[in-house]
Amino acid sequence: MAFHSTIAQLVTRRRGLVWAAVALLCALSTAVLVLRMKLDTEVLNLLPGGFESVEGLKIYNRDFVQVRDLTFALVCQPNDVDKLEEFAPQFAQRLREQSWCRRVLAGVPIETPEGVRDLQSIAAPLLLNLEPAAFAETLALLQPAKIKERLHRLHEEIEAGSPRPQIELGLDPLGVIAPALKPFAGNASIEEDQPLTSPDRTMRVFLTVTNQPGIGAFDCQKLMREVQAFQRTAHEGWDGGPLQILVTGRSAYVAEISLSMRHDIIITLLGSILLVSGVFYAGFRRWLPLLGMGISLLLCCLVALAAGLLIFGELNMVTVGFCAILIGLGVDFAILVFGRYQQARDDGEDHPAAVGESVKNLGQAIFFGALTTAVGFLALMLAGSRGFTQLGVLIALGIAFAGIFMMTVFFLFLPRRSPAPGHDWMFTLVKRYVRWAVLHPARVLWTSAPLLLLLTAVAFSPRPPIIFDVSTHSMEPKRSDAGYALKTIMEKMPTRWEPVIGMIKAENAQQLHDYWRKVEPRWAALQAAGKIKGFSTPAALALSPQRLETNRQKLHSVNFPAARDALQIALTNEGFSAETFESGFKLLDDLKAAADPATHLPDWRETLPQTSGWWFLIDRYFAHDPLLTTGFVTTNEAVATQEQKEMLHRDLPVAGVPLVLSGWSFTLTDLVPWSHRQLILISGLMALFDATLLALLYRDWRLWLIQVATLGLAVCAMIASMKLLQVPLNLLNVLAFRLVLAIGVDYGIYVLLVWQKARKLDHDVAGVVKPVILAGLTAICGFGSLGAANNPTLAGLGYACALGLFWSLAATIFFTLPAAAAAEPKSWREESLHPLVKEPENV
Amino acid sequence: MFNRFLSLSLLLGLCAPLLRAEPLSPADLKTLLGRIREKRAAAPQVQADFQEEKNVKMLNKPIVSSGKIWFQSPNKFRREAKGNSPSITVSDGQQLWIYYPKFNSAEHYSLGKHSPLDPGISAITASLNLENVEATYHISATKEADGYQLQLLPRNPSLKRFLQTFTIRMNNELQVARTEMVQPNGDRIVTTYSNENRASIPASTFEFTPPAGTDVTTPLAK
Repeated sequence: MAFHSTIAQLVTRRRGLVWAAVALLCALSTAVLVLRMKLDTEVLNLLPGGFESVEGLKIYNRDFVQVRDLTFALVCQPNDVDKLEEFAPQFAQRLREQSWCRRVLAGVPIETPEGVRDLQSIAAPLLLNLEPAAFAETLALLQPAKIKERLHRLHEEIEAGSPRPQIELGLDPLGVIAPALKPFAGNASIEEDQPLTSPDRTMRVFLTVTNQPGIGAFDCQKLMREVQAFQRTAHEGWDGGPLQILVTGRSAYVAEISLSMRHDIIITLLGSILLVSGVFYAGFRRWLPLLGMGISLLLCCLVALAAGLLIFGELNMVTVGFCAILIGLGVDFAILVFGRYQQARDDGEDHPAAVGESVKNLGQAIFFGALTTAVGFLALMLAGSRGFTQLGVLIALGIAFAGIFMMTVFFLFLPRRSPAPGHDWMFTLVKRYVRWAVLHPARVLWTSAPLLLLLTAVAFSPRPPIIFDVSTHSMEPKRSDAGYALKTIMEKMPTRWEPVIGMIKAENAQQLHDYWRKVEPRWAALQAAGKIKGFSTPAALALSPQRLETNRQKLHSVNFPAARDALQIALTNEGFSAETFESGFKLLDDLKAAADPATHLPDWRETLPQTSGWWFLIDRYFAHDPLLTTGFVTTNEAVATQEQKEMLHRDLPVAGVPLVLSGWSFTLTDLVPWSHRQLILISGLMALFDATLLALLYRDWRLWLIQVATLGLAVCAMIASMKLLQVPLNLLNVLAFRLVLAIGVDYGIYVLLVWQKARKLDHDVAGVVKPVILAGLTAICGFGSLGAANNPTLAGLGYACALGLFWSLAATIFFTLPAAAAAEPKSWREESLHPLVKEPENV
Repeated sequence: MFNRFLSLSLLLGLCAPLLRAEPLSPADLKTLLGRIREKRAAAPQVQADFQEEKNVKMLNKPIVSSGKIWFQSPNKFRREAKGNSPSITVSDGQQLWIYYPKFNSAEHYSLGKHSPLDPGISAITASLNLENVEATYHISATKEADGYQLQLLPRNPSLKRFLQTFTIRMNNELQVARTEMVQPNGDRIVTTYSNENRASIPASTFEFTPPAGTDVTTPLAK
């Protein structure tokens, strides 16, 4: 039995079997979804793998404490700046009292007594880590004579009225802490450009570290619910004008993105279903087939989603848009199949025969249509992006299922009795156009060809330019409180952009120290040469075990009891209060203990209190694994060009040091060549695939040439439209071009395949052109509905594809068809149109 | 004897109101400040001798110094201290120099930009100028037997971190006789002024160039 007959038998005489299979499939898929649903909200998974900068960014986002940072900002009116300064400590205290808050930085640590005390607590290990010459010089200050001389001098300076000695003695009674902290202060210089108060004093920033247990989407959502509850009551005690309490940070973004994913799924799905249903009904004015189409498509989505979860284990934020795309594409098959089915019924065929007729006539077209679309989406795998690989595979699976279900399950919903055919105005209109276009192709071509050529010229013209947006904003949700907060902070603070990060992972502490010791002089030289603006590294905190041991042995040269006595005598003689020098005596005791080989040398991580504000500075440099560290380089301008990126790639690394360069701006700039490759190379490959397939399909060089030209003109028109409408290209929606080539080619395939086999040209061709128009409109609606998504990646992809498919459809109707007609002799055209039998005026 | 005692008691009783300080009402305070401004406006330059006692928490004994001060409204001053540890302090409002002849060294500070020195400078200029002082301080005043006492409490939280209270005692001619500055850490500086003179002061008084060979440092530089 022929394949089409088998299908007809199955869906007409074995309906119960087919329904049972459908029910089983639904149950299995639902079970998979319920048991295995996992959301991936990591934006970085949309970026291609295989790039060191991308991998570096993933490591930085995952392994460093800053993933639990939240930044709060209070913004007031200009005439409330004094009130803001009074309110700030209250706000900071309230933050500290929150159960989710582990640590708060409300002011520069060195300006608080606690901060000074904390710094003194890590003086001993930092002192022991000094270079040998600097250590020897510092140790010399502990000689009794030096102690006395120093205190005498400081006393005289205080008497003379200098403020400096009081500041110095408050931090460094013995004079040895300053040398110990000098490398630390030098490395932390980048912080001086990033104050916590804006220059106009209308904004105060508070850095917090939360104690959220995990960094997944649900933990972040839970945290942000508590933070938002705090925001609602945090105004208490403020008696000034309007006060904005903003919050940003990774957790805020993740919570927003994951919640907006839910929004995006619902909106795009509903939007797509509504628009597509409207188009279908307008075309056929039948409810039951519409319902059947809807259920079949939902079944496709369910099965493809379940298959995707089984394959990948999770779904990311772009993949959730696949349902809308799949509905827009899958409905094409339903439209074609139902159109042919209806045509057969109108020709007098019964239900099983009509089913067999539509499968027989359109099976090949649907197969090749599904193939090109699936290949186009599978080509997304070549992007190397996990997110887009998921999308491509899911849609390829979905399209395959759609092809199968539309030729099987869909027929279950069609009534055996065909209702009386009403007047199909759309078919009448299309048929008239087909007749006219076939009889007078030149007239149509004289209108469509110049327009398409003009748009092609605009596409190639340097003006207007195509906007290529590689900024981080192109990946942020459209309506984002966290994004608004970050933008406000960046606007109000001194000119600052996020630095380039350089990560080093070492095998052991000594190696870590040695690596940073090599990197520092190189970066310092670059700064001196003006190639970079500044840098900071954890070099001072990456202690060298060898140096610690060497220096602790030198401690034996210090007579600590004599030093202690000298200090006591000098205090008495100069009239200093003992309280001021408590930390000095403690440091002497610590150093004396360190001189004993049996004593465990203090690790600054152990001695610095966990609540200290200095951890905000330190945590920037060290991951949870203390051997994984990062330094920061501030460039002279934000990294945006390939030249800048190449310079950094060339100059920042040091031979023998495994340094990974990353950072958001650096990474996005690094990906621009990849994006260009996607656009040109992969789209070119897709075009080649299409051209080859068409050659095999048509075996007619004229039809092949016509359709290749159509595709080219459609893509150029798409580019021209994006330029004129200022729809930007970004790193990810460049993938739209291959999709347009994969889907847009289908319209020409459907039309020209029928053109080749048509017995009654206007009837047969109109019978496929009308469904093609409907199919095109539904695909445009499907992609266009993505524009409502909060995720700009998804929305950008939607707009680009919708534009491309619009022009593909328009070019097929107004260029492909008349061009195919023009390629035939006039006599043939007239003969083909001459009706032998009066056909019903509908499909 | 009894009559003498009675007369003395009566005299004391009548004079008691005069001996007791009377707080000024807001209107009177405003009038007083107005009078002070008029006087300052008429003669914006002032020079005087000073004696200073500084009680610093980190020292067990107070530091005593004396010298001369010159001031030009709104914020230029020169202060020369004599004694064992002499110093010359010069400010033009943007820069502050402190020169120590004994050590042949000088310290250079930039003012404004939330420098830690701003409150101290603000206190000095407040006592000598009182121009627009209500914007920076809460002011209360009392009428004394021989003049007025003004108490200034900082409004600005950043000023409060370095200055707790500032008291100015003036004579009836509105010349500053004594100031007392108390800092949150307990440090206390009492300065008495004498021989106030409103003669014109050359501009070069408020300029400073370190002598050749001076060791210049910028302690608060980044």
